[in-house]
Parts: sequence; C-alpha cells; structure tokens
Amino acid sequence: MDELIKNLKVQLIEILNLSDVTLEDFDENAQLVGGDLGIDSIDVLEIVVMVEKEYGVVINNKEIAEKVFTSLASLAEFIVQSSPTSSS
Amino acid sequence: MIDQIKTIYIAGIGIISPLGYGADATERTLRENRSAIAPLDPKTFSTQQSPPLPVGQITDLPYSPLPRTHRLTLAAAKEAMNGYSCVPDAVIIGTTTGGILTTEELLIKKEKDARKYRHHGLTTVAEELADAVNCTGPALTVSTACSSGSVAISMALKMLRTGVAEWVLAGGADSLCRLTYFGFHSLQLVDPRGSRPLDTDRAGISVAEAAGLLLLSTIKPENPLGQILGCGLSCDAYHPASPHPEGKGAFQAMRAAINDAGSNTRAIHYINLHGTGTPGNDLAEAKAIRSLFANPPPLSSSKGATGHSLAASGAIEAVISTICMQKGFLPANTGCTEPDPELNLKPILQPEDQPVAAALSNSFGFGGNNACLLIGKANTPPSPNPVTQRGPFTILGKACITGAGHTKESMERFSKLESIAGTLGLESISEQLPVRKIRRLKRFSRIALALAEAAKEDSGRKQSPDSVFLGSGWGALSDTYDFLNKLQNSNEKFPSPIDFVGSVHNSAAGHIAILHGATGANITCSGGDHSFEQALMAADNFLTDPADSAFVLAADEAHEHFSPLFDPSIEANTPLADGGAGFYLTRKVIPGKPVVELMFYQKMVDDTLDKLIKTLGKDSLQKECHMIFTGIPAGDANSGEVQLDDFMKQTELDIPVIHYRKFTGEFAAASSVAAVMATFLLEEDIVEAGKNILVLGFGKNLTAMKFSKQ
Repeated sequence: MDELIKNLKVQLIEILNLSDVTLEDFDENAQLVGGDLGIDSIDVLEIVVMVEKEYGVVINNKEIAEKVFTSLASLAEFIVQSSPTSSS
Repeated sequence: MIDQIKTIYIAGIGIISPLGYGADATERTLRENRSAIAPLDPKTFSTQQSPPLPVGQITDLPYSPLPRTHRLTLAAAKEAMNGYSCVPDAVIIGTTTGGILTTEELLIKKEKDARKYRHHGLTTVAEELADAVNCTGPALTVSTACSSGSVAISMALKMLRTGVAEWVLAGGADSLCRLTYFGFHSLQLVDPRGSRPLDTDRAGISVAEAAGLLLLSTIKPENPLGQILGCGLSCDAYHPASPHPEGKGAFQAMRAAINDAGSNTRAIHYINLHGTGTPGNDLAEAKAIRSLFANPPPLSSSKGATGHSLAASGAIEAVISTICMQKGFLPANTGCTEPDPELNLKPILQPEDQPVAAALSNSFGFGGNNACLLIGKANTPPSPNPVTQRGPFTILGKACITGAGHTKESMERFSKLESIAGTLGLESISEQLPVRKIRRLKRFSRIALALAEAAKEDSGRKQSPDSVFLGSGWGALSDTYDFLNKLQNSNEKFPSPIDFVGSVHNSAAGHIAILHGATGANITCSGGDHSFEQALMAADNFLTDPADSAFVLAADEAHEHFSPLFDPSIEANTPLADGGAGFYLTRKVIPGKPVVELMFYQKMVDDTLDKLIKTLGKDSLQKECHMIFTGIPAGDANSGEVQLDDFMKQTELDIPVIHYRKFTGEFAAASSVAAVMATFLLEEDIVEAGKNILVLGFGKNLTAMKFSKQ
C-alpha cells in the first residue's frame, strides 16, 4: 500500500503539474479535492483517466467518485480493492 | 449615453442543423417535438468507440473539398441571402472547430503537405463566407466556445448601431469532430441516452453540428423577419469549464441584454434557454432566471432536439426564436418528460401556438462566457439605444513577450535594431504568474496571462479592467496537439480532460478574467495575421462608455509540429518565433498619454489601397506620419511588397519604414508587438509632438492602426 501511495503521489504531481509539491508535502490523508492543492473537478477527471489507464480501474459513478476522491489514501484503497490484478 | 434610435432588422435567416435543411424543415421538426439526436454515423467520422455516442448530426451534406464547418456555413449563408442582391459590409462568424475535422483526418494519415491544412484556421471560415457573398469588408471570427454564435450576432448589432456597416451577415457554425466528441466525453458531460435538458433524470449534452446565419441591416427590408433589440455579454470569471453555481454571469448577461434593448422583463414572451442538459448548467441557468424574473415567461431548450452545436448553438437558437415569433408558436423542451423540481421552472412540454412579441435567447460557454440576445418582432416600436462610442483608446499600460524576453529586454534589443525573434522559455514567461493557478496552462495561455499581468503592472493601476479582448491566429496549439496525440496513441480510450479544456480557443481569456475578476465582455478573436486588429475592433465595438477599460491582447505560440503545417508563413526550416503583446486601454482621454486607433480593416482587392489612402488622407499622412511599421507575412511576401510599394508611391511619403517581422520573426500575433514598439517610441518622446506612427498590415487584408499622443 505504501508503494502504491508513493506511486500515486508521483503520478498526480506529474499529470496535474503540481510542480511546487514534494512527495513529503503531499499528505495522503488530507482532503484531496478542494483542499490546499487546489484540485478541482477537471483534475479529478484527469485522475480518473490515469487510474483507468495505469491500474485498469474504472471510476464512472458520481457517488463512488465522491468517496474515492476524499483523500489520496482512499483512492489507493479503492484501487487495491478494485484492481483486476489484486490478489482477491 | 442614449441619444439615437436605430432599428436592426433581421432581413434573412439561414439554418442547417440536425433538425433539417432550412427554416421550413426546422419549423416542421420543432412542431413535431422530435429529437434528431442519434448515434454517430461513421460517414461523419470513424471511431473505434463502441457503441458510438448519440450526437446531433447532419446527414447527406453535399460534398465539397472544403472542411465540414465551412460547408455548413456556406449552406446557411445561401438561405440567409436568398432574395437579396446586397453585399454585406462585414461578415462575422462564431466558430470553435474551423477546419479541425479535416486536420484530424490528415494527421491520422500522417500527411506532411502543409497545403492540405490551409483551411485549418478558424479565420478561413469567415474568409470563405466573405468570398461567397462578395464581402470585402472585415471578415471577423469570434471564438468564445458555446456562446460564439451569439457573440458574433452581438458584434454585428454594435457595428450596425455605430453606422460603420449597413448590412452584416453574422452567426455561428461548428461541425462534429473528434476533438469535441471525445473532449466532452472525457469530461463526462455526454448523456449516453441523448440530451434531455431540464429533466429530473438529465445526464449531459449531445455534441452536435450546425450553422445559423442572420442577415442584419439598418435598412428596412421589404419583409423584415424580426429585429435584434439588444445584446448582453458577461463573464463568470469563476471556472474554466463550470458555470457560476448561482448563475451570476448568466443573470448579468440577461439583464444587460434587456437593458441594452431599453426593455423590461415583462415584455419578454419566451426564453430560448441555453439548456444544455448537464445537471450543473441547467441549475445555474434556472437560478439566474428565477433571480431576474418574478414570473418567468414560457421557456424551453432546443438542445434536446438539436443536440449542442457549440459555437453554432446561439446562432441557430436566434434563428429558431425568429421563426417562432414569425409563425406564432412556442417550441417544446424536447426530451424533457419530468421537469426537475429543483429547477423550479415550467418548461414547455408540447409545442403551442401562441404569439411571441419578444424572445430572449441565452448562450453560455466555457471560460464563463455568457451572451444573451433579445429578439423582437419586425413591428416592435423603436426604442432609444446606447451609442457605441468609437475612436481612439488611451494606452494606460503595455507589455510584450518576444524571443528576447519581456517588454524591457525586447525594447532594449529593438532600440539597437537587433532581432527579438525566437521563443522565450516557459519558466521566463511564467515568472510573474501564480504557480498553483497556472499549473494546467500550457504555452499559449501562459503567454496571454503574463501579458495581461505585465500590462496591468505597467499601467500602475490597482484596479484591473472589466473586459478582455484577445486575438490569436492559432490558439492553444500545444493543448490541441497533446489532446489529439493522446487520443490516437491510446486508440481513443484515454483523451485528456485537461488538454481538452486547455484547447478551447477562449480558455486563455477566461483565465485572464478569473485572475483579474473581469466580469465584463470577454471576446477571443481569430483573424490569422490580423488577429490583434480584430481584437482591437471588438473592443472598439463593445467599450461604449468613457469610463470603460479593457485588456486588448494578442498572442500566439510556436509549435514544432503544428506551426509549419498551419501557418503559411512558416516553412519547415523557418526558425520558430512567438509571443505577443497586451495593452490596458481606456476610453478616458488623458492628456500626454499615447493613444491607439484602428483606422482601417478591409480585404485586399483592386481598390482597397485607394480606400486606405483616402481614409488616412494623403495630406495628413505627409504632414503627420513620422514612421511606418509594416507587417508583410512571409506567406504573402510577393503581394505584400507590391502593395507596400504602391502605398509609398501613391502617398509620396519619404519616412522610415520598418518591416517589423524582420525583428519579431514570423507569427500571427506579431502586429501586436509592433504596436508595443510604436507605443514605446511615443513614450520615449522620439516622435515629434503632433506626429504619429502607423502600423500597417499587408497581405490578404489591409489594416491600419494609428499611434499618437493626446
């Protein structure tokens, strides 16, 4: 899980061009959308595309998305639970 | 200032949309309350997506070598001009797609021949239209996303009121293409069941294509179809792709249109809603309507029938509103079976026969760009309307970005007559911009934002202007390239929402509005090498009050793949150059400050040079003109040099002539940098008192801007 969280941080910093954010600054438990990072609905959709592309996990339901995007940790949790390659 | 009465007649209408070819077919489909939304036909363009999304498309469009948007425009023009032999003094087209569908197909085939991309540019739609109707006046293009068509008609209204034109052909056109089809899909804004505006169960838009044109005139035609009574523009200055949740900008635009017409809410008999079918859009519009109208009149959205034809939508809905007034019926809100109670509106569920004296037509677009038109019956009594003041603008602040750097570095190099061509690094461009707020923005938008920021700083003003007018020949090339590239490389599976939002032509101007809280008119123009002049003309038409102020800017980005394909002045071995300039302008007269005035803008034909010299006055030129900056794009080098020679011979001027592109390099917004050079020389008192500097553009069009001191 720690590895996944770290990878997600790297990926989000890259695709959202959070050039002034370091891995250490990026708190996986902090509010992801509408928080300090300034992540909004367009960014969320870009993350949705990345998650499907990189992890094969589809997020296409508004209610699920609201829960998934609470924090980076909750996103990682959802990917683990839903991943087609997960051990379950 | 209110002191004139000028009636703007709708002399002709032309429409081609998924509802049918022409006004009669449109009326029939509207009366049937039938949706024309259907799955994408592979004949329009092929896609690997299965099943294809529902769209509003035009089937059996006759073939011509021109791109689809151009063909739609010409089809609508034919109907609008039917029965008229007049030649419009100007044509104004709102479009976002231009020749992109053709470009997409060429890119898929990896076509390298730049000649095949010659209709890519948005401006080519207006140019083809102008040629088709023999118009040699300004052929203008506005690209303000989904409000483009209404903004084009608004601009026509202003030009007619000032008397600079008696006949204007204006409207909007967009064709279906991969960029918008997959772009809106990536934003999860497409309803897989087809658009159902205002319905409880609505789930988004259906992307569509169409063209709508209105022939407008101050001369009363034999059988006028209606009048344009007023227009209102505003900008949310809130978010690049979402409306203000309370519909603040929509409210302002509707109120402005009603005020502009000297009318009131009780006089409105029908509202043709923007009504896209996305939950957020419909709710914001409903809130705005409920704030403005104590008892909203009958209302409906046409987009459940037509789909959302983007830049065309405002124009086809103006045509639909005209048809409804003429024929005395109210069209239904097709697709809506159970109106959403949260909206608290009562959409028309079945077409009704009922007289309509005045209709409000709403259009709202990305970038928070709002435009509303008030359309009245032909016999609406005239009411006084505001005078549009034209003439010089006072320059409060200026800024440029070139290969040499920002304004200071650029002017230092220019003063030594050294080249300032090249491409400034992205970090240098962005150095004064807030990092977090620009993180999604690519080169074009960053240039434009940096210019606005620097022009404000140069003005020394704390307050930003209310309005933004931005010209760009090619718009956001990086974003468009990246979007199409990712789409193709992922077999159409992973289009980027960020790149799509960034690719929209008016995205940069929308961001300027957000950063500066500019809630007034926000217009992006695209006129090839004359884009800055078009932005200046738009400002000239919309800044009506002496207290009004605006950013007027032009920017273009160089792109290693796209620039040599699209820009006829750039060949494979041409060194890339880009940048632009921004001005903080006001109508207020301030003695001692430099001023700029757009003196001339016409297509180059046999007698255009004579007209230019007549406008500028040979005597005035000889007495007052200190020097000339001339812009001859490399793509028009042969004809341009001949035109300049003729101009110098006929005017018998013996003054310095500076070919500014030799300093700036080749890019569409270069004339804006020449405008900064001229302003710089005036501010440095290099020019004698009472003398002026001309910036002349040669090539396809002949343009003249005059810079002097008050």
